[in-house]
Amino acid sequence: MQDYTEILAEILIDEKTLQERIRELAAEISRDYQDKDLVLVCILRGGIVFLVDLMRHISVPHRLDFMAVASYGSGTRQSGGSVRLSLDLKADIRDRDVLLVEDIVDSGNTIAYVLEFLQTRQPASLKVCTLLDKPERRETPVPVDYSGFTIPNKFVFGYGLDLDEYYRNLPFVAVVDLKKYHPPSE
Amino acid sequence: MRDYQEFIDEILVDEKTIERRVSELGAQVSQDYTGQELLVVCLLRGGMTFTADLTRFLTIPHTLDCMSLSSYGTGHYSSSGNVRVNLDLMTNIEGLNVLLVEDIVDSGRTLAHVLQMLKTREPKSLKVCVLLDKKYRREVPVEVDYVGFDVPDKYVFGYGIDIDEHYRNLRFIASADMQKYKKMD
Repeated sequence: MQDYTEILAEILIDEKTLQERIRELAAEISRDYQDKDLVLVCILRGGIVFLVDLMRHISVPHRLDFMAVASYGSGTRQSGGSVRLSLDLKADIRDRDVLLVEDIVDSGNTIAYVLEFLQTRQPASLKVCTLLDKPERRETPVPVDYSGFTIPNKFVFGYGLDLDEYYRNLPFVAVVDLKKYHPPSE
Repeated sequence: MRDYQEFIDEILVDEKTIERRVSELGAQVSQDYTGQELLVVCLLRGGMTFTADLTRFLTIPHTLDCMSLSSYGTGHYSSSGNVRVNLDLMTNIEGLNVLLVEDIVDSGRTLAHVLQMLKTREPKSLKVCVLLDKKYRREVPVEVDYVGFDVPDKYVFGYGIDIDEHYRNLRFIASADMQKYKKMD
């Protein structure tokens, strides 16, 4: 694996800015969900780091649940194709206030599907919180209620977002220099 | 949901101590796998906070995968009985160095079961990293390679570990006075 410094075009959002914004989002969520029955739903795996940091700053009672989705056909979740649930929520969300926590919304296809699917279970409310929003890539409209950062249409990695499964643990969000990056060979 | 202040017994490990120990574990794991690659496997849901923080301190190339388990039969999976895989790994682990990351090991039954199952897939190596070890509760011998803290046989919560699905986001690990907790129902 290449060291990230070899493939880094620029640091888009540094650690301090990320953490400050996450605290703001958590404060906003804590205000909005007072006296509600909040369930934070994380879509694996990209959203984990964001979720862990976000929930630490949320001051209202909440539960945590996970979903994993994959597309039919190839292994990874891709835009376009139909989505299949590989891990469903543990708890029933009927009459609960569900907040979907995502690392990034780009095409919006996956999240639109998940929202539609969760809505059938009749939660009291259903909202979306994403760390990164890439509106230029949108193919399916998605209501984003809490957004950390709106970013340009660039290939980003770090802070939960992977490049061929690596670099999720970097504390910042960076843009990859695709000319210098060599994907690991299988 | 009640304020944890109403039923907390004591803080077993405070935030600063957790952070320091997690960074030490990260350094140790990085050292042990120098020149190699690692697949970190997070056992949901309790292991998530520990995994997210531990990987921040890893300096070696690594990838991340998740598993979700429960037991057949009764609700809590520390019981005996077989383990059900709700979410299996996406990664084929044959020939890989695998590190299983778990929040707590007590009876060891779940862990022993998962290890046995994963070994049949022939990874290059398979190790276990737990944040908390409740040694007194062990019913099945399990080799744990990295341990954050030994904890007494008390009901613990915080830092990823829940009581009835709440309190996972607390930054410290505390023990609960379950009599007080139950009385409040």
